[in-house]
Amino acid sequence: MGKISVIISSIKQGIDLKDMVDAYLLPLKDLSINYPNTFSISEIKKIQKLGKEVYVFINKNIHNNELDILKDNLRKIEKLNVDGIIFYDIAIVQLKKELNLKTDLVWHQEHLTTNYGTANYWYDKGVKYTYLSSELTKREIEEIKQKAKCKTFINVFGYLPMFTSRRHLVKNYMDTFKIKENGTKIYKEGKYYNIDDTKNGTTVYSDYILNIKEDMSADYLVFNGNMIEEKIFKEVLKDYKNNKFKEETGFLYKETIYKVK
Amino acid sequence: MKKPELLSPAGDLERLKIALLYGADAVYIGGYFNLRANTPNFTIEDIKEGVDYAHKLNKKVYVTVNIAMHNKEYEKVRPYLEELKKINVDAIIVSDPAIIQMAKEIGLTIHLSTQGSTLNKKAVEYWQNEGVSRVVLARECTKEDIKDIKEENNIELEVFIHGAMCASYSGRCVLSNFLTNRDSNRGGCSQICRWDFDLYNEDKKLEGEKPFTFCSKDLSLAKHIPDLVQLNVDSLKIEGRMRSIYYIATVVKTYRKIIDEYCDNPKNYKYHEEYEKILDEVANRDSIPQFFDGNFGKEVQYYNGRTETTNQDFIGLVLEYNNNLAKVQQRNHFKIGDNVEIFGPKTNIKFKIDEIYDEDMNRIDVVRHPKQIVYLKVPEKVDKNYMIKCIDKKKNV
Repeated sequence: MGKISVIISSIKQGIDLKDMVDAYLLPLKDLSINYPNTFSISEIKKIQKLGKEVYVFINKNIHNNELDILKDNLRKIEKLNVDGIIFYDIAIVQLKKELNLKTDLVWHQEHLTTNYGTANYWYDKGVKYTYLSSELTKREIEEIKQKAKCKTFINVFGYLPMFTSRRHLVKNYMDTFKIKENGTKIYKEGKYYNIDDTKNGTTVYSDYILNIKEDMSADYLVFNGNMIEEKIFKEVLKDYKNNKFKEETGFLYKETIYKVK
Repeated sequence: MKKPELLSPAGDLERLKIALLYGADAVYIGGYFNLRANTPNFTIEDIKEGVDYAHKLNKKVYVTVNIAMHNKEYEKVRPYLEELKKINVDAIIVSDPAIIQMAKEIGLTIHLSTQGSTLNKKAVEYWQNEGVSRVVLARECTKEDIKDIKEENNIELEVFIHGAMCASYSGRCVLSNFLTNRDSNRGGCSQICRWDFDLYNEDKKLEGEKPFTFCSKDLSLAKHIPDLVQLNVDSLKIEGRMRSIYYIATVVKTYRKIIDEYCDNPKNYKYHEEYEKILDEVANRDSIPQFFDGNFGKEVQYYNGRTETTNQDFIGLVLEYNNNLAKVQQRNHFKIGDNVEIFGPKTNIKFKIDEIYDEDMNRIDVVRHPKQIVYLKVPEKVDKNYMIKCIDKKKNV
């Protein structure tokens, strides 16, 4: 079975879940996106003391003027000796080489980590892990596990990001129409989607909480506790295969199409 | 001063030929494994014909192979790349690194697609080291970003100058997958970002005068061409592989003029507002410089709903010319008395229609039928593929 890996909302929650998890995935303050709760370097150190594997998300698109802050953070993380950096921007691969960093990398280009060939490309470049896209079928995930040389992460629980923009879509709307309250959800055709406009841009999340209860072929099973009540999250982690909440398999059995004619 | 390449989209062979005729130095097209799965696209035979045609004019053809592959595409893509190599395409535009690896092995020239969301000089450096010869920068790059990236790397840069924008970072949107089960990163994008939504603060609906949408205005860098030339950008790219021949001709011709006027005489160059007006006439939405000038505040949003402009002012395409008569294929209704303009790559002729003949040379007053062939008396010599627009017809918004 894959290692139980969690995205937590706070150090306190991390401590509370300590005995139920194998790894913590921590979004880095200022350099991550799609996770409402982020962690500073000193907070990451505190989680490391819990004695579990620790992976750090640096998953925002890196703008040219953010390279210095990125370099600075990569050097700091190197000293922490974490188990890996979960990256989106290719600058991180280049900087690992230039700065001679030893920390392992996890290829996680969110919706683009979709085949074993590309996972193997990155493996051959020294990237030992791939964090798979959530838009894959179970058969595709199994084939990747079989044919890719890397270790794999997959999402099995939590809200999923569907859209990430540099633009401040909620703020722009509020500014245009002089609305004072902050938009937190959007609605269409019977479904509500969380929307989060932060200093790094806007993210929109799935209307449902992914809740896969079956066996999955992956080395790391990721449970994302963001925007989930802590009590519920803990309940799921106790025995995820038999949790009492609604099963939601996302795209596991729903192959997307792209040619409609 | 180096004159940058003007790069046009082309959805089919007709548009490819029009783009090159109206001044594009190169075109980009889609065959298989590209992000416009629901357009006719080019067969291998079409691509070969397009490449041969362009090469005779000393121009170039780039082929987009820019999907994020799933396993089944990964297993099929290599033979296609080998075919592209055989027919001598000038480059392929790619985002998936596994395709980059294959293209290197096959010996194809590689351009990194904007789907790679390349925003910084370190990412560019990585791709340069990987054998990529050109990077299409992310549309979120500012003028300062482009300057710094160009100065620090010895690689060709391509920048979008005109057309529609993704509301998301390219590649970071799967709204289509979730809401319509169509894979946006394999060419199935159903443009959910153009939809209207209701915006809530928890349980309270927030009501603006117009509905909430992600929709962005379009991009136009017409005013900034001198900046881009000075930044030493190698290729200026127009978006829109699904756009009409009329749109392609109008936009390509306008940018050709701006680029040539500036590069041929930079000291005395003056930007003409008229160019903006011409570009606006064929646009679907308002256009602004977007991220280029660092502005992505409320001005970038487009809240005017889904109504889009159709170019009903495009009334006909010239097929041939003989003895003051242009043989014309109708594209929209027109009649005797209409004030029109015929334009070619370097020509504009305004006149009032006073004689129209049907295919049997009977005089007629009105041309109603789509693609009807008629003969039109014109005051000056015109050529095949000149276009006729009715200047009485306002934009149909």
